[in-house]
Amino acid sequence: MSAELWVAVLAGAVALAAPLVLAGVGEGLVERAGRLNLGLEGMMIMGALTGVWAASSGGWLVGLLAGAVVGLLMALLMDVLVQRVGADEVVVGLGLTMLGLGLSTFLFQVWVPSGQTNTSVATVPHLPVGGLADVPVLGPVVFGQSLLVGLAVVVLVGAWALLRFTRFGLQVRAVGDDPAASELRGVRTRAVRSAVLLIGGSLGGLAGAAITLGAIGSFTPGVTAGRGWIVLAIVIMGRTRPAGMLGQSAGLPLPSELTQALPYLVTLAVLVVTARARLRSAVRRVRTA
Amino acid sequence: MTGGQAVRRVGAAAAVAAVVLAAAAGLVLLAGADPVVGLQGLVAGVSSSPYRVGELVVGAVPVALIALTLVPALRAGIFSVGAEGQVVVGAVAATAATFGVDALFGGVAGTEGPGAPAPLLWLAGALAGAAGGAAYALLPAVLAVRWRVDVILSTLLLNYVAAGFLAWSLRTWLASPEDTATPQSAHLPEAAAVPLLVEGTRAHWGALLVVVAAVLLALWRRSPGWTRVSVYGVRPRLAMRLGATRARTTCSVMLVSGAGAGLVGWLQVAAVNERLLGSVSGGVGFSGVAVALLGGLLPLGVVASAVFFAALTAGAVGLQSATGSVPSSIAEVVKGVLLLGVACLSAVGRPRALARDDVPDDAPPVDAPAGAPTGAPADARQGTRA
Repeated sequence: MSAELWVAVLAGAVALAAPLVLAGVGEGLVERAGRLNLGLEGMMIMGALTGVWAASSGGWLVGLLAGAVVGLLMALLMDVLVQRVGADEVVVGLGLTMLGLGLSTFLFQVWVPSGQTNTSVATVPHLPVGGLADVPVLGPVVFGQSLLVGLAVVVLVGAWALLRFTRFGLQVRAVGDDPAASELRGVRTRAVRSAVLLIGGSLGGLAGAAITLGAIGSFTPGVTAGRGWIVLAIVIMGRTRPAGMLGQSAGLPLPSELTQALPYLVTLAVLVVTARARLRSAVRRVRTA
Repeated sequence: MTGGQAVRRVGAAAAVAAVVLAAAAGLVLLAGADPVVGLQGLVAGVSSSPYRVGELVVGAVPVALIALTLVPALRAGIFSVGAEGQVVVGAVAATAATFGVDALFGGVAGTEGPGAPAPLLWLAGALAGAAGGAAYALLPAVLAVRWRVDVILSTLLLNYVAAGFLAWSLRTWLASPEDTATPQSAHLPEAAAVPLLVEGTRAHWGALLVVVAAVLLALWRRSPGWTRVSVYGVRPRLAMRLGATRARTTCSVMLVSGAGAGLVGWLQVAAVNERLLGSVSGGVGFSGVAVALLGGLLPLGVVASAVFFAALTAGAVGLQSATGSVPSSIAEVVKGVLLLGVACLSAVGRPRALARDDVPDDAPPVDAPAGAPTGAPADARQGTRA
């Protein structure tokens, strides 16, 4: 295979990975605090629709923001239902995904009735790097990317720093490791859990908007194509640490059935290995106690 | 249940129904149509002709069968979302078995001519489908028992693996000899088709399986096994005193749900499409989970809510043609709102203490039902799923 092709494939992989990284960082935070957002796919597709809709009148920046706001609102609904009403997190998550997939299709068909030409908006511009984009290999892969790739990197590093260096990050880790003990130590467990879910939801909505505004500039029903579920898988693969996520998500977009199924098989294998390790340490703890 | 709780439950149910209706009416208004015209279209979409009623059966059968067989697992607090993948594996196994048995009797795939007798083909397809689905459900069960891998996540991942397996099968060993635009298998032998319930509709005799499954579930609810599984879902350690073990409970409920989903795979191939298509599961797996919860894990409730779900889908098509401006995808929105409402209802219905924390956080992990991944806390993941 020629070198140009590999450069193109690599550049495409980086571009495709940006939404996955954005949503993955959010879901990573959510799972680090011991929650699970199965509504991610629904939040992403609603973000994808709202992003295009808002961008059609206000430009791509408004579109991205609108996507994040919709994700935030859905996460807020989920948080109220789970933490206030006491509903099951898994059922609410599945319900939100169902709702998001249905509502995005419905609203899109109301907005653009069938037979009418699909609304198309300008996509997010590329990074303003001047001549750097002409550098062989590195140019197209690293510098010739849209702003979204830069945004994904910023969010990734930001989330890592947030978890590692801030008081809030410490609280998130504490709540995820031992909610009862952190509650005793004065951490407001419920508030921390709400906060991470809202962050995760906003990033999910933003990621959805990044899918539509990053490449195609238009919405079609089902445009996220299960990427919310893929993100859930990636987060487990990255073992819920933001830094582990970048490498995992870049390898995903490859053809053929086996390579499509492979990420899931690998995730399952990782799941088994980590579960075994946890089991061993738990057994050791019980024995010594 | 005390009187106050009952009143709260009825009030909550009424509130959920009101929210669902308001959401539906709001969406119809948003699309610029009259809700009353919409309602008439909805009713017409379900009942205007025998064919429409038949479509109701075609839509309700797979969802009901999956939901009914999923009840034991949900009752045991094992949240499997793998029906989608189990339907796919069951469908592939059933297709392969049907062609295999037919070939034994001299039939050639995709052609008319001699072949196996119909009952034998049905039996082979049904058994292979159920076995394929059950085997594929056993995998997450074993992982959960042996290594405490979370069932939600493993079943979710295996759905994608199954989709890859289906795509690969349709491209290679099960591919149709004809040149087709979409990947599909050859047409099943004529004799393998499940006969129609009523001529002129697509309703098929597979509906009988739903009745059988509902009766079996009703009978099983009166057995000690039901008590053990129910107690296991809430108080695993108490269930072990009643004679349940983690391995047996997990594996048996998963096998039941897998066999049910696999049968659905066979029905979708042999009774509806008459060949294996890439879209064989078509979301019935996820709808099955929603329908089981909506039906309150009760046999009649599950069948009723499956028919209701199918009626929503069929009625929304009528709604679309009556109003001209309301997309039929309104059905999916209403289903999502319903599922959220059910989640709230089951929270209101159970005592507060149970909703918060079933197993104390300091309980040794040996007694926890399924391993929570990545340090998820016990209280969020071990609640009664009913």
